[in-house]
Amino acid sequence: MNIKIYSKLWKLIPIVVISFSSCTDFLSVTPDNRTEVEGYYTTAQRVDQAVVGTYVDLRRALLSNYSWLMYGEARAADVTVNVDFQPYVAAQRLKVDHYELKQLTDWGYFYDVINSANEVLDIVNTAEPEVLSEYQRTLYRGEALALKSMAYFYLTRIWGDIPSGEASDMGQPLTAAAAVDRAAAYAKEAKDLLPWVLLNDDGIESAALTAVRFNKTAASLLLAQEELWANKGSEALTTLQALFADEASLSGFGLSLGIDRRTEIPETPLSGTMVSMPLDRLNSLYPEGDTRRASLFTVSASQGTATLIVKDQSKLDLLKLGELNLLLAEAYWRSGQLEEAIQYLVTAAEGATEDYTTLSDGTFADALLLERQRLLVGTGQRFFDLVRFGKVSTFVPEFSETDVQNGAAYWPLSESSISGHSLTQSSYWANQQ
Amino acid sequence: MKLLPKRFCKLASVFLATSVAIGQAHAQDVLVMDSLAISNRSGVENSLQGTVAGLRVKDWTGTPGTQSIINLRGLSLDPTNEATAPLILINGVPVITSPSNVTGINPLSYYSPEQIERIEILKSVDQLAAYGVQAPNGAINLIMKAGKAGPLHLRGSASAGVNVLHDFDYRTDAFYDFNSTARRKVFESGSIVHQQNILVDGGGDYGSYLFGLNNYSDEGVLKSTKFGRQSLFLNAKYNITPKLKAHFYNNLALTNRDGRYAGEYSRAFTLPVIEDETFFMDKKRNVAFLSSIGLSYQLGPGLSLNTTAGISYEGASRDIYIPSNILKGSIYASSDAYKRQLISIKSALKYQPTLSNDWTMDLTLGHELRATDNRLTSVGGSRSLESGGSNFVKVVTGYNANQTDALSDHDVEQLIGFYGIGKWSYRDDLKVNLVLRTDGSSLYQNKWGFYPAVGVVYNLANTLKLPVTAKLSAGKMGMLNRPQAYRGELVAKGDYYNGNSLGIGQLYPAFRDAKSVDVTEIDAGLSFQIAPSITFDVNYFNKTYQDFIYKRYLPNSQGIDYQYETGGKLGLSGFEFTLNGTWVHSDHFTWSSNLNLAAYNNQVKELPNDLTNTSLAYLSALSEGDPITSLVAYEGNQQKVIGNSEAKLFGGISNTLRFKNISASFVFNYASGTDVLTESFGSRYDAASVDHQFPLKNAETPYYFIQGDAKNPVYQGIRTIEPASFIRLNKAVVTYHMASLFKKNQRVEDFQLFLRGDNLATFTKYSGFNPEENVAGVRRADLSYTGTPLPVVFALGSKIVF
Repeated sequence: MNIKIYSKLWKLIPIVVISFSSCTDFLSVTPDNRTEVEGYYTTAQRVDQAVVGTYVDLRRALLSNYSWLMYGEARAADVTVNVDFQPYVAAQRLKVDHYELKQLTDWGYFYDVINSANEVLDIVNTAEPEVLSEYQRTLYRGEALALKSMAYFYLTRIWGDIPSGEASDMGQPLTAAAAVDRAAAYAKEAKDLLPWVLLNDDGIESAALTAVRFNKTAASLLLAQEELWANKGSEALTTLQALFADEASLSGFGLSLGIDRRTEIPETPLSGTMVSMPLDRLNSLYPEGDTRRASLFTVSASQGTATLIVKDQSKLDLLKLGELNLLLAEAYWRSGQLEEAIQYLVTAAEGATEDYTTLSDGTFADALLLERQRLLVGTGQRFFDLVRFGKVSTFVPEFSETDVQNGAAYWPLSESSISGHSLTQSSYWANQQ
Repeated sequence: MKLLPKRFCKLASVFLATSVAIGQAHAQDVLVMDSLAISNRSGVENSLQGTVAGLRVKDWTGTPGTQSIINLRGLSLDPTNEATAPLILINGVPVITSPSNVTGINPLSYYSPEQIERIEILKSVDQLAAYGVQAPNGAINLIMKAGKAGPLHLRGSASAGVNVLHDFDYRTDAFYDFNSTARRKVFESGSIVHQQNILVDGGGDYGSYLFGLNNYSDEGVLKSTKFGRQSLFLNAKYNITPKLKAHFYNNLALTNRDGRYAGEYSRAFTLPVIEDETFFMDKKRNVAFLSSIGLSYQLGPGLSLNTTAGISYEGASRDIYIPSNILKGSIYASSDAYKRQLISIKSALKYQPTLSNDWTMDLTLGHELRATDNRLTSVGGSRSLESGGSNFVKVVTGYNANQTDALSDHDVEQLIGFYGIGKWSYRDDLKVNLVLRTDGSSLYQNKWGFYPAVGVVYNLANTLKLPVTAKLSAGKMGMLNRPQAYRGELVAKGDYYNGNSLGIGQLYPAFRDAKSVDVTEIDAGLSFQIAPSITFDVNYFNKTYQDFIYKRYLPNSQGIDYQYETGGKLGLSGFEFTLNGTWVHSDHFTWSSNLNLAAYNNQVKELPNDLTNTSLAYLSALSEGDPITSLVAYEGNQQKVIGNSEAKLFGGISNTLRFKNISASFVFNYASGTDVLTESFGSRYDAASVDHQFPLKNAETPYYFIQGDAKNPVYQGIRTIEPASFIRLNKAVVTYHMASLFKKNQRVEDFQLFLRGDNLATFTKYSGFNPEENVAGVRRADLSYTGTPLPVVFALGSKIVF
């Protein structure tokens, strides 16, 4: 071989070097038929999508199979949902071999909320400084914590002892009390981070947006619920009183409705005659003269039913401002201040036929429970209230007090909830078919 | 010989050479196309049936233009997956070979057998490791005909024939049996198959050229399902300087296939929908182009640089219209387009120094780049006649948005490989082949995989005076694991806040340990030269596939459904036997044969732990040692292995005879040890309606499948389990060489008349029409995965060479 050829070959070396160094670029393909996680959260709008995704998860957890009612009023047999598995739920036959019923015994959707919320926290914590403003950073953290708190609170109210969904102790069992404490700690942190009113994309305060995302009021209501569940009346009182400290405008929280791309959740789950109450039950619950029944139900005497009125089809209220007085009443009562408690209950129960001014320590609980049943109908709280007030065996004829002690008030665990966790079916549900 | 005309001697010698080529072919795994019994059916693979030990070509359907299933020591977790197919190359350039799911037209039908010079079949690891992750399941290289020295040659051939459904008993046919008598009218015996080819070539000091065109048409046995191909091709070699040579290859093919048979759209119609079920538009069109440019530069003595760039492109489109009488009052129309491209660039520096009289060496250092880019767009919609649809308007316009489905998908994959191949040989005694290759793939974060292999061939003829050659090779290859998962994936969850905020979240987390399936192989073989014209080969191979990608379903408190993992191990091993012999060889009569047999065994060697929580849960009835191709069904509440969809023994027998100027070839192929499960039309139940207990039925097996979805499971009973062993007279060709008629015309080199037949007779106990018709070994009640009846094809043709 002559030198000429070698000299030509040497000239090729830079080309070879360049082509080697461009290998990495050539082999890095960003698919445009799907969205990859890595490198996605580069704008505030995209981070916002992840936050919204957590709300959509919560919506799926509570709306699929009408679960918010199945875990609440439907199980307490207060309302009837027009689906074929409702009779099983009302009859406490929660282990029947039925597809939707099995889904209801699975807690996976609530853990999706927790996982998504933790993802949001990760995204916010690791986002480049220029991606999020201070307002957004604080808001998103607050929303994620509040959503997580709500998910844990639902989980423990439905199933009692539950596994942790946090990276530090993933899958480890938490007692019901520890789960509520955890939920309260997140809600407390969220309450401090969240604003009273949220800003829309144009930077203007938006009441409509505030109503469907967590805000300081909603986080405080949630925290108060959790504190009352843990029987911490005075702490709940402090939380609720703080709402009036700086005369801010208060807003509840509801889930905005819309299409979920993953399930067959109806877009407007409360439409039509889907949720109703037998007429005789309505009459016993809201006696003639109770001025609230007309605003809550449409009565069809011919069919013998009363249909729940839904004022806003675009939103499912979960934390209503209307609950504030009830919570204050309970907080005062649990803190030993009966007089204030009665005052708030009377305010809350405006339109009732009963005279609550003469309530005593012994009769207050029943009155409060009744007013909560009346005022919060449709928000899915009834069965939880029965558990909290120790009244399950009183109001649910299928259960004796022993059954409740054996775990009947909680939902059975699905097979997939038991597998992979060191939890066992409660003795009540283990013996049911 | 003097008694015979000169031309005849020439012809005889060509014939002999090709006969020997058949004999040699199996030892060297090179098939000379003109020496094979060529199929009348489109698809080059159909001419390879029964010719090479270990090459299985399953004739699963009679629909023209469809690819037969090709397997060459191939296996994957899903045995019906296209990943099990071999790599197919044209002149060493990788081309698109899997049929697109839009038209299903076979890319191997873009080439006429007349264009092909020879076919190299690569099976052993020391040959395949040089392709890294591209050829874990074998490779087939089609070397196209090139121009030969001389001013101009002209070759023309044409044939025409018919499809015949002989011995057609509708009571046993899958199509007829399950449904209506109306469907008999769908089939059409006597439809025409014809083709025409012209090749022009020449060559000289400047290089060589070959160009030509061909036309192929097969009306098929289903009415109005005609398949056609037209192609133009060019193969030119140009000596730019004595040291610099260029090679251009181009093939442009247009193919079309029509379908108007309702059963192609859905086989689940339970009643005769219309009288003959053919009022239906389904037009499939493919445009395929292959272009390659090769440059070869002689840098010095023994040192050369070769570069080849190739583009394989296929545009597939399908337009479909279904009238209201099939869809009960609605009309449906859709249009799909799928464009696929595969670009490859390969460069290699070749060094062949002279070492000594005894030793030779051949070193190659190369680089390969491969980019695939596939893009799908699809629009479809339906509307009812009440809302303004018309049965007479074939293209429906103006859908409401919620009646229309639109889809666009784009898939890109890149691959870079570097390789070194060293070949050493010592006289005729010893050959050593060493391959080192590394491949980088865009699918993984840790992009590079390393694939070494070594092979040794030792001929005992000189040292031990034994007519035996021993071969041994071992090495590692890769098989690409999809999807690209190392950066995780997000999913759109739903709308929020007046429907204008889209919620998203993680579908699965990043899987940074993704890598290719490791495929290790050991080959050993002995070749006996029993007599000068008789050889016997026996080969053994053992392949292990490990680390497939699968989904691991996570506990439901993790908040995410699954993550990816790699694991699992499969084994494929087997013996291949080949006997080649020329039994009689005289001036007037020659008889040569090839007999090949493959005995294969595939098995599960390892499955992931906690299998039921993975996407491989469907394998949970299998234990170590069971074939991955096992057929599994329920009996009672237990899953059980009740058959095997893959043959344990398969192969072919070819005989080539010549008497004076008549020659004949007969190719049989066979397979044994395959089972077919036939789903029952009668015992199919919603699980809820039978209280989740499968009711046993007399005269059917106790086995059943669970189909449907989790919400509404369906029990599908299995009527029979039957063996699908067969032996088939796959092809027969009788040729009458009439060149002597033109002895006065020196320009005519050859003239032949031939009669070719395909699928002439099948001997089997299988109750259906074609023992290979079920893709996955199960004849589904709705006949998805079952082919249409395979016709007998006869064609008469002629070939002339100037």
